Amino acid sequence: MSEELVRAIADMREEEAIALARQLLAGGTRPTAVLDDCRAAMQIVGKRFEQGQYFIPELILAGEMLKAIAAEAKPYLSEGGNAARKEGKVLIGTVKGDIHDIGKDIVSFMLDVNGFEVKDLGVDVAPETFVSEVKAFAPDVVALSGFLTLSYDAMRETVQALKAAGLRDRVKIMVGGGTVDQQVCTYAGADAFGADAMAAVSLAKGWMGGR
Amino acid sequence: MAERTSAALDSGKTPQQLFAERSKRLQDALELRQPDRIPIVLGFGYMLAEMYGITRQEQTENFGKAQELLERAAQHFQPDSAMGLFNDPAASLALGDRMTRWPGHGLPANGSFQFVEGEYMKPEDYDAFLEDPADWAIRKYWPRVFAELEGLALLPPLGMAALGCYSLVTLGALKAPPVAKALQALGRAIDAQAGADARALESVQRMAALGFAPPPLAGSIVEAPFDFMSDTLRGMRGIMLDIHRRPEKLLAAMEKVLHFQLEYAVAFSRATGLKAAFIPLHRGSDGFMSLAQFEKFYWPTLKALQVGLVENGIMPFVFYEGVWDQRLKYLTELPRGKTAGWFQFSDIFHVKEVVGDTMCIYGGMRNSLLQAGTVDEVRSFTKKLCQVVGKGGGFIMSTGIGEMEGCKPELVEAWVDATHEYGVY
Repeated sequence: MSEELVRAIADMREEEAIALARQLLAGGTRPTAVLDDCRAAMQIVGKRFEQGQYFIPELILAGEMLKAIAAEAKPYLSEGGNAARKEGKVLIGTVKGDIHDIGKDIVSFMLDVNGFEVKDLGVDVAPETFVSEVKAFAPDVVALSGFLTLSYDAMRETVQALKAAGLRDRVKIMVGGGTVDQQVCTYAGADAFGADAMAAVSLAKGWMGGR
Repeated sequence: MAERTSAALDSGKTPQQLFAERSKRLQDALELRQPDRIPIVLGFGYMLAEMYGITRQEQTENFGKAQELLERAAQHFQPDSAMGLFNDPAASLALGDRMTRWPGHGLPANGSFQFVEGEYMKPEDYDAFLEDPADWAIRKYWPRVFAELEGLALLPPLGMAALGCYSLVTLGALKAPPVAKALQALGRAIDAQAGADARALESVQRMAALGFAPPPLAGSIVEAPFDFMSDTLRGMRGIMLDIHRRPEKLLAAMEKVLHFQLEYAVAFSRATGLKAAFIPLHRGSDGFMSLAQFEKFYWPTLKALQVGLVENGIMPFVFYEGVWDQRLKYLTELPRGKTAGWFQFSDIFHVKEVVGDTMCIYGGMRNSLLQAGTVDEVRSFTKKLCQVVGKGGGFIMSTGIGEMEGCKPELVEAWVDATHEYGVY
């Protein structure tokens, strides 16, 4: 493990981090080891975000560094990386009629660095799409995101569609996003609402622990 | 619908009397005085289409109908001021605007207007922007974001205009078909916007004739310089990376943006007589950046913008979107009684404690309560708002979100009635 690389990423020294990774790979370090360092650094970033030390600029820059280093490592990778054990599976998306993605992307990021396998359906996701993806991906948790007030109805429709398809009892459903509160959660028929990405992680962890 | 508990409050008054009373009530609150009672403003938005069963597209595009519904709703609920939709699509549609989607245009007829954020300005555009923002905007940016203006990319550098009689030789280039087509589209957009402006004025006048005061935020629209660089130019991802990758360029760009926005708002106010500037904030709230970043990148130019407006007799009416709980103390640096703050999701009681002596507080009611609450919940929350946030004046009751789609009419009635009941000083 390269402490130096982990620190460079975690401390937001972008150019240094990428140069270091390039150096390590050229020097024969296994690409999977470099990616493990990235993962370790991302956990530090996630921690600092939780602690209110890092904010969106740092999450985005960390994502950029990760992307750049993964691209550097790619030519060295022989085949499929290591299948790390996952905490559980989360299906996430911004509900129909709404195209806001900032909050959803942060929640995805935090769930991912906390060990969940996350499938992100993007924005403006129709209830039917959630239904078919729940069937195909078999998530433990479905996370519905929305920013506009019209998303309350779309969340409700999505929960009802899952119910109609007989899938409601197979998943826990959380709702969140700019204007979402407990009232909206009840209205939508979800299991819980989270005010921020950390709340989403602890809800998901709590549900997984309860199984 | 059930009998209105506050129906008798203003009975027997003429529209002229009501207009004068309501305008004074709002003005008193805006200037941190205690009015006779707490004013309430309803920003109906798409709630009109829902209540009266038309599509959002019809509400957006059929002014006669939308205005008739706004008048009906205002007369039914009896707020001090009422607003319909914030924006008019006419000019956007004329230009093939790529950053907006309107009901019936890229959205279903009952969709909600949405802004499509993108990285319309690339990192490598900073130097040209800093060199000459106007030239860059007209020759590079407009062709990118407005489909109908692609031909403007063929214009000569705008600085050539300074060559006086010799610059006239560049005019021939404007006859090239793509440029000519773009200029025609621009002409159509100018007509469309002038029409929208005339409709907005007619709406305010018709509401005034019925006794309703103009919305307190009526005036120019400007942005916090950071949001100016973020919203329609760099996008959220781009601007957040700029904080780390090119902070000096970002700061220099914001300085430029601050100055021409001030010039614009002052000229607008002089031309129209409107004494407010609406500043909707987007990326400065809790959660986007750290306080250290806020102090460096967001607050200095936002404060300078507000102070500059106040010095020119204009009241900044600022929409503090999101939650500002961790950064309210900065707002106490603003000139006392000269700005208004519309708070979306901040803890409104905490807001009163921290900035209640600094600015008029606008908002308070949670939209979700009007959508999914009960009459009793609405009444008791309204009572608390009146007693705590309304204490001593300087408060205008409204919803936190500037759009009441999804709110239930019976809960809105209960809210307005409770405000009339508990809001009397």
